Amino acid sequence: MNQFDHLKDDDTGDNEDPAANREGKSDSSAVNNHNNNGRRKAISPGAGEHPLQYNYTFWYFRRTPSRPANTQSYEQNIRQIGTVASVEQFWKLYSHLVRPGDLIGHSDFHIFKEGIKPMWEDEANKNGGKWIIRLRKGLASRFWENIILAMLGEQFMVGEEICGVVVSIRFQEDILSIWNKTANDQVTTSRIRDTLRRVLNLPPNTIMEYKTHNDSLKDNSSFRNTKITL
Amino acid sequence: MSTGCQKTTSRAIPTTRRVTINDAAHMPHDYSTTPGGTLFSTTPGGTRIIYDRKFLLDCRSSPVARTPPRCLPNIPGVTSPPSAHNDKAHPPQQILNNNNCTAPTDKTAGEDAQFEMDI
Repeated sequence: MNQFDHLKDDDTGDNEDPAANREGKSDSSAVNNHNNNGRRKAISPGAGEHPLQYNYTFWYFRRTPSRPANTQSYEQNIRQIGTVASVEQFWKLYSHLVRPGDLIGHSDFHIFKEGIKPMWEDEANKNGGKWIIRLRKGLASRFWENIILAMLGEQFMVGEEICGVVVSIRFQEDILSIWNKTANDQVTTSRIRDTLRRVLNLPPNTIMEYKTHNDSLKDNSSFRNTKITL
Repeated sequence: MSTGCQKTTSRAIPTTRRVTINDAAHMPHDYSTTPGGTLFSTTPGGTRIIYDRKFLLDCRSSPVARTPPRCLPNIPGVTSPPSAHNDKAHPPQQILNNNNCTAPTDKTAGEDAQFEMDI
């Protein structure tokens, strides 16, 4: 599977993953050096803080329109913002970030368990997939906060399966995604779907879509050709 | 780069956990939950740390949570407010997540009506 072949740059509908030319190498020298990767000190809860079940890392991606898609490397352009190990550290960081509804352009926030990159090829993601929910404009900030709180608070009850959540700001809609490790584990994916309905208070006829990361790799798109569930 | 650390695997199941509550507001409203996050015992691997939404939101007001994080990378439009915006008073608070005006949205019923799904 040669990702260099996929040089489509289709801006209409804006549903494509911008990674037209992503390198599979996970060599840390290829990662943007704005990441705090240089200092690998362990993040842990401070005294008196409430520990999270897992540490989580915040990431950000923005597609810069001026650069042609074929020279862009997704892995080089995602940036780590910080890692948190406690509820208090989470609020510290989250409170000092712009809300997704106020992001400009084609942008993504990702919050993933520490050690898992928000990339299809990551070891934890290669057999996985994601649920996506499309939101009309104006809803992203609230839904993003609620999905994060559910994940951090371990509301999904699927063991180790959750990898992370993503909010994708696009031209005419915004998209919430939750990634899990095993796409073909239907018990897990059903439970995630049901939990999403509950914690996000989704109307009963809300369409939810699932897409395996393998399929995303094949059509080089995050949000097209999904399996639709009512 | 796999996940590696599973924090709960090689640990004896704790029999007690001490949680200090200084503020009556932090007591859970639900009788069956414990303050500081409900502990659910699962036999393999010990307990899992679970927090409900209300508890997490309550932690937001602690002084620790309010101080800015160190080493925050400077990404304009992300870690600092976009310069173009200038609504009302305190534009940074409008844009950043530290305004508490989102509180009204935590009602579980009667939130914004259905959102339309444009297909």
